[in-house]
Amino acid sequence: MIEVEQLSKIYGTTQAIRDVTFNVEKGEILGFLGPNGAGKTTTMQILAGFLPATSGTARIAGYDVHEQSMAVRQRIGYLPETPPLYPDMTVEGFLHFVARIKGVAAGDRSKRVDLAVARCGLSERRKTLIRKLSKGFRQRVGIAQAIVHDPPVIILDEPTVGLDPRQIIEVRNLIKSLAGEHTIVLSTHILPEVNMTCSQVAIIKRGQVVATDKIENLMGRLTGGMGYEVEVEADVAGLEASLGSLFENIPGVKSIELLSREHLPENRYKWRMTAEPGTEPGRIIASRVVKAGLGLCELHRVQASLEDVFLELTMEDAKTPETEAEADVRDIQTPEPDMQDSEPPENTPPE
Amino acid sequence: MNTIISNIIAIYRKELQSYFASPLALAIAGVYWLISGFFFLYILLGPDGILAQVAMREQLGITDPVDVPYQFLQFFLSVMGSLSLFFLPMLSMGLYAEERKRGTLELLATSPLTNWSVAVGKLLGVLTFYLTMTAPFLLYESILFSAADPKMPIVIPILGHLALILLAASILSLGMFISSLTENTFLSAILTFALILFLWVMNGIAEGVTGAMGSAIGHLSLLKHYSNLIQGIIDSSSLILFGSYIVLGIFLTAQSIEALRYKRS
Repeated sequence: MIEVEQLSKIYGTTQAIRDVTFNVEKGEILGFLGPNGAGKTTTMQILAGFLPATSGTARIAGYDVHEQSMAVRQRIGYLPETPPLYPDMTVEGFLHFVARIKGVAAGDRSKRVDLAVARCGLSERRKTLIRKLSKGFRQRVGIAQAIVHDPPVIILDEPTVGLDPRQIIEVRNLIKSLAGEHTIVLSTHILPEVNMTCSQVAIIKRGQVVATDKIENLMGRLTGGMGYEVEVEADVAGLEASLGSLFENIPGVKSIELLSREHLPENRYKWRMTAEPGTEPGRIIASRVVKAGLGLCELHRVQASLEDVFLELTMEDAKTPETEAEADVRDIQTPEPDMQDSEPPENTPPE
Repeated sequence: MNTIISNIIAIYRKELQSYFASPLALAIAGVYWLISGFFFLYILLGPDGILAQVAMREQLGITDPVDVPYQFLQFFLSVMGSLSLFFLPMLSMGLYAEERKRGTLELLATSPLTNWSVAVGKLLGVLTFYLTMTAPFLLYESILFSAADPKMPIVIPILGHLALILLAASILSLGMFISSLTENTFLSAILTFALILFLWVMNGIAEGVTGAMGSAIGHLSLLKHYSNLIQGIIDSSSLILFGSYIVLGIFLTAQSIEALRYKRS
């Protein structure tokens, strides 16, 4: 539905985005994640046909955003960073206006406006002047104007900024409910948001997309699968020696590490294991402990959060010379699953 | 074609509604009514007003008849023309500057609208607001002229007001272009005022320049063509001049919005 290839934008001497490439299938929600100033808004503006790209192409529903701008404009709903609202209009009047300029047929307008009002929870504020609305409501009107003409593609630039926690949840649910029939691109710098609403994520850093994938894949890929922590009680003296072989040869377990006993009560031992992506050796670990006649005190999965991924991908600034940053990027774009254990690649960033 | 007209109407209605809902625009209209109303009475009844002058001529024994309604209309329309120098830039200043400041330009630019249909809709909207600002004076005049004897031919006030509309449309169109250049409404008003003042006094500049150059500059003067029209002189060159200013303003606005999208940083 959305195909972006090698998109670059240069403002004067600054390169805002460089070789941005990604695809979004119909019905998916792509989260565009990156620190402030990374080029999220620029990419969105190009997608919406507001800015031309310096090079590269972007196609929406098969239409080039620049060459076939009018066709694209009919098919997108766009919420810019600041919601584009006319303060002297009522909510209803404004949505009617937008429906009209977006080309909704006269007979359908009232129905579409009603639907958008209901979906965005604006029913009680229909007749209110926009200038009298709170920031949260304005943001909702902004979303309503992006969906009022029922576009196949919706582009939302930071849709939950300025909302209170309850409204954020409502907006996220709204966005999720739009997926399926609509294809959505949303940008954010809030990590849980992507986790909660998006099916796909593109992480952008300094104008370059450093990773795009399904969220689960991305996290698995970049952290080398799930981790397990297991705590065992063994009050038999001299057991320590046999403990080493306790977890040997469990399928799917890649590495085992005995953790320091400093903070543990007496006779307790704790391990951390890393599993291969896609495997869940938890059951076997538990049965081994039980078979050995030991007490299982704790067993839990340690899943890398998107936050870890995000930080790993975007935190190069502290150690940056430009070249190193580039090497960093290249590594991450082509991660090898066996990168961790076998010989390290040439440009491994310093830990 | 239908969608273009529908788009123009959508923009037009939006503009019109925002003028009537805007306290600033209503304040401008109020001050305009106050000042124009004052001049209306002053020109008619003031100590130097037209009736006083006629009375004086009679006392001095000058018996040439004076066409009072005609004289009055000319005075009044030229005052209205001069006043519009100050008031029209205030109406046109926000046309695009406000949209840029609020970010709503992004909405318009990502909707299936052409730049020029937005510009035409906006111009029609602000022009309509200006017309409603001048409408009360039509009532005053009709009361006044109904008392005139002999009756004044209706074509003269119609032509005079048409000239005022054309003048206003030209100024607003150029003002709209200037408004599209900046996010600052105040700056837009000042620049528009400077430009209009320049076009207004071009007549005077032309007199200082000799030859073909001088007459060419003279032709561009708004004042000259406006005075011709309110005197009842229909000259196609005047109509073409006003038309050109209007089209030029719309054209430049559309171009400037297009350019804005191409080099915005």
